[in-house]
Amino acid sequence: MITIIKRVKELGSNALIASREFRDYVEKQETEINRGISSLCILSTIMQSKEKELHGYKILKDLTEKTNEMLVIEEGTLYPILRKLEQDNIIKSRREESGRKRKYYSMTEYGKQVFNHLAGFYSKLTEAIAPLFDVKVDLQQDKYFYCPMCANKIDLSNTELKFCTICGFNIEQELIERGLRNE
Amino acid sequence: MSEKEMNYKIKEYLKEVKNKLPEWLKDKKEHKEILAELEDHIWSKAEELSQTGQPTLDSVQIAIDHMGTPESIAKEYKRRGTPKVYITEELWPYYKKVISGVFSLIILITVIVQIVNLIFGNLETIWDGIMGIQIGLLIAFAVITIVFVALSMEGYFPEDFMSKKELEKREKEPGRAVEKEKSLKPFIKPLGEIIGGSLGLIFGVFLIVQPLPFIFSIMDIEFRLFLQFAGIFIIAEGVLDIIRGLIGYRQPLAHQVIHAITVGVKLASISVVILMMNRPDIFPILVVEQPSGVLTNIGLAPGFYGLFRGIAGLIIVIVALSTIDNFYKIYKLESYKK
Repeated sequence: MITIIKRVKELGSNALIASREFRDYVEKQETEINRGISSLCILSTIMQSKEKELHGYKILKDLTEKTNEMLVIEEGTLYPILRKLEQDNIIKSRREESGRKRKYYSMTEYGKQVFNHLAGFYSKLTEAIAPLFDVKVDLQQDKYFYCPMCANKIDLSNTELKFCTICGFNIEQELIERGLRNE
Repeated sequence: MSEKEMNYKIKEYLKEVKNKLPEWLKDKKEHKEILAELEDHIWSKAEELSQTGQPTLDSVQIAIDHMGTPESIAKEYKRRGTPKVYITEELWPYYKKVISGVFSLIILITVIVQIVNLIFGNLETIWDGIMGIQIGLLIAFAVITIVFVALSMEGYFPEDFMSKKELEKREKEPGRAVEKEKSLKPFIKPLGEIIGGSLGLIFGVFLIVQPLPFIFSIMDIEFRLFLQFAGIFIIAEGVLDIIRGLIGYRQPLAHQVIHAITVGVKLASISVVILMMNRPDIFPILVVEQPSGVLTNIGLAPGFYGLFRGIAGLIIVIVALSTIDNFYKIYKLESYKK
């Protein structure tokens, strides 16, 4: 991960950033925060892509663009993360038969469910901690429903879904009560 | 020329990455795929960075810079496993197994050597043997711990040491480990057996060596011989317990055989108690003489001979009854064979 602090090139001699101790501490903290969310952001990039499958370089490009270059992964370190996700059966890969023989990645069905749950958890967590930083988080509750039991992120456009796929909670009843679905 | 240089630059970078990759990954063919993927990434990036759409030497260099250092790439591959006191959770059970196995082996070999020495009357080496056990355990602990910490830092998993065949077999049997644990766990606590067996070993060695001369020297020589025989039986039982602990949850048949041998050892040890039962006159009663404070063996008063025989008889009954536990385990293990 490339941290924000690492990207600061010009150091004011009197600024706090000139202190080695400060830089090291802040960089370590930023790395820790980035590490936790990087896998989730990579999965999100694959999930949200209009293309069925993406190669590593495209994943990185989309990720950098979508996060306004805030979450920049050291490019070589993307592949160990992809490998881990593949081994955990979250994503699957296919190698091109001809040409550059690129490796294309896509989500597995299991991976999609894992992602929805983690995305829900992360969204609710972000919403919950937002007041601590005096920021506002819009969870787009007209598009998504977050399971009250397990925080699973459920796309409301899927009108067939009656139960949470993670915990089995009856979401239809809940949606009717909240006026998000008709009886 | 330029394309050659670009190729050379990329190959050099990939060579460095390969050198830094953890050994467990280098052993697999997979590392070639990893390097190919990195190479493709560099070319794609270099193409994009160059204004003409054709990679240039400069754009290749920038693309390589963006990839990060070979160390940082390798570090990410090594970030594997769940940390647990410097040794990952995945390697922890194997660490414990290796430690207990090596410890038992050191103790066993030293004890056997010392018993041989004892048989040939070479009593001076006994203390050397005990010291040898201590030093051996200390060195083994240090070496094994360092190796496992290093393996954890490199991101090794137990499966990295398995052969292809073993891995294929494992993959074909999903939930194998869970099932095994569920059904076999109740019949043995390996660590408990190893600890119990080790304690038995130490006590047995103590009885054979009789290291406290101010106590043992005032005892009857025949009684001391009985104690040494008892020590041999206790060591034998300890060794059998350790072996069962090392076998762990596997091979119920081996457990049954060892239980059967244990029954034999227990019953044989009764002979020592019977011999002792018939010699109450040599049983030591140690008292501190006043006012001199000297420890003296006054022996058992004839009036207590009956009580002594009764207690010895009780010990015989307890030892005999304890074999029921072994028979029960032999019977119980039958169901685990399935």
